[in-house]
Amino acid sequence: MRANRPVFSILLWTLLSLLTLFPIYWLFVISVKPAVELFTTPSLLLETVYWKNYVKVLGDDTLRRYMFNSIVISSGNAVLVTVLAFMACYALSRFDLAGKENIFFWTITNRMAPAAVFLLPFFLLFTQVFVIGEWKLYDTRTGMILLYCTFNLPFAIWTLRPTIDAIPKELDEAATVDGATTWQVIREVIFPLARPGLAVTLILTWVFAWNEFLLAATLTSFNARTITTGLSEYVTTTGTEWGTMASIAIITLIPALLIFSIVQRHIVAGLTFGAVKE
Amino acid sequence: MAEVTVRNIVKRYGSAQVIHGVNVDIADGEFVILVGPSGCGKSTLLRMIAGLEAISGGEISIGGRVVNDVLPKDRDIAMVFQNYALYPHKNVADNMGFSLKIKGRPKAEIDAKVKKAAEILDLGKLLDRFPKQLSGGQRQRVAMGRAIVRDPQVFLFDEPLSNLDAKLRVAMRVEIKELHQRLGTTIVYVTHDQIEAMTMADKIVVMRDGKVEQVGAPLDLYDNPGNVFVAGFIGSPAMNFIKGKIEAKNGRQVFVSDTGSVLPVEEGRAQSGQPVIYGIRPEHIDIAPDGLPATVSVLEPTGSETQIFARFGEDAIDAIVKDRLTVRPGEEVRLKIDPRRVHIFDRQSGARL
Repeated sequence: MRANRPVFSILLWTLLSLLTLFPIYWLFVISVKPAVELFTTPSLLLETVYWKNYVKVLGDDTLRRYMFNSIVISSGNAVLVTVLAFMACYALSRFDLAGKENIFFWTITNRMAPAAVFLLPFFLLFTQVFVIGEWKLYDTRTGMILLYCTFNLPFAIWTLRPTIDAIPKELDEAATVDGATTWQVIREVIFPLARPGLAVTLILTWVFAWNEFLLAATLTSFNARTITTGLSEYVTTTGTEWGTMASIAIITLIPALLIFSIVQRHIVAGLTFGAVKE
Repeated sequence: MAEVTVRNIVKRYGSAQVIHGVNVDIADGEFVILVGPSGCGKSTLLRMIAGLEAISGGEISIGGRVVNDVLPKDRDIAMVFQNYALYPHKNVADNMGFSLKIKGRPKAEIDAKVKKAAEILDLGKLLDRFPKQLSGGQRQRVAMGRAIVRDPQVFLFDEPLSNLDAKLRVAMRVEIKELHQRLGTTIVYVTHDQIEAMTMADKIVVMRDGKVEQVGAPLDLYDNPGNVFVAGFIGSPAMNFIKGKIEAKNGRQVFVSDTGSVLPVEEGRAQSGQPVIYGIRPEHIDIAPDGLPATVSVLEPTGSETQIFARFGEDAIDAIVKDRLTVRPGEEVRLKIDPRRVHIFDRQSGARL
């Protein structure tokens, strides 16, 4: 029984990996076939590779712009949210703030209503209120970064708080007695120990912004349009360009994979082990 | 090195007052131990000296400078925490050199001071290890090393040995004492373990319920406890207490317990008829043919000595003798009390008479 365990484990993980990767493979197959072939002889096998969908997508200035917007908005949002959530969580965890548990609960109530409820107010704010002369917040990357902050920040605070709470307060005190200022405590002690939680927060908020469609479709038109909304432009009244859409989808996976591979190594459990006697 | 003065210190958490006007004078280079049961305010007082807790009233000065509003980092103190509080992401050398790095000292100076402290504490081979790779005793030594590297005016220790096993605790006790003798720096040390206090301190401050019960040298507290609380807290096993009153019998004063046992006392310690608490340490009771008959309840031989739990009539008494006894529970022993070693306390106030 014991000897079979690794074999069973390998088989199980292989199966689960295949299940996860299969849709991506299917997407890739679609992206490297001409439209005619997709409907005449549907097959999951790769007999010939047709790169023209990729050539078309990568050569399209508009799509390149959408991709750039998505990267800037998602990354800008993830960094801003993670930094703000980190500081908020430190304050909630360490400072004796009046009603801090109420503040903590209040932050998550902002995520309780569906995003669609906020569409109209945000649209009005972006087009009517946040206007300086000719400039509007509508259809700007800054606007989208700030918009996603309102959704991601409460979520990030809730994700990150347990990480900060789990760092023993004695470490702050030891650093304080050692001569560190609050900023030095945060930089030298809290930040390195909170890295796994910060990495998770960064990934989740990045993915939210990267995948978001509804708000981006409503609050952008061209300048700040993201790749997810760009995809929908290939569903037209004359037909759907499946091959092009699939190639865009495959390309959008690349930045996500890069972000994951960079951040993943920081997600190490048990980083505080040995800090204090438990 | 510096003297530390604590004047009328008060600490309140909302409406709850936990420290009630404490006064302590700690001389330059002195090893002072704050001791008392859990919740007596000893750790809070230490944290106020460190600057980690705000002071609600009174004044603390270090080296003649009032530090009430001085940040911990500017008090020139170093603290060793109960649970070590080592930075888990830094190796031993970086843990020890952290305070100097924060101050922006040159790397060569940091390395030299870390190396010197590591030599003192025998940590030389562990400098590249991380806290999770160390044993409890090694971690505690690193925590002490971190304090030594700072070369502070005052060391503060907050129950540093309470997480160690009994054997290691004894070894570390010796190390800390040696360290104090070597460095001569003022130490304020908190513990609930009176053995630690007795063996290490130059001066002990016994606290209860946020107040100082007695201050004195360890043997002074042992020989002349100011009240029942100090008498019961200092010394292990604890002093025997029997309630009763002083009476005159056949022209001599004796103690008569509430349950009728008659025990010897020195003449003139209290007035006849006065309700008192009779205190005698277990180690001050001997077995002798002319002793008072007592019935053995339990015997605890430890090899070097034997602890006897016995009864004088209705009154329980605990004695420690060097002899190996052959008596069995239920049998009689004769326990002799030297009246000169008896402590008499007022029954109402608990004060020594």
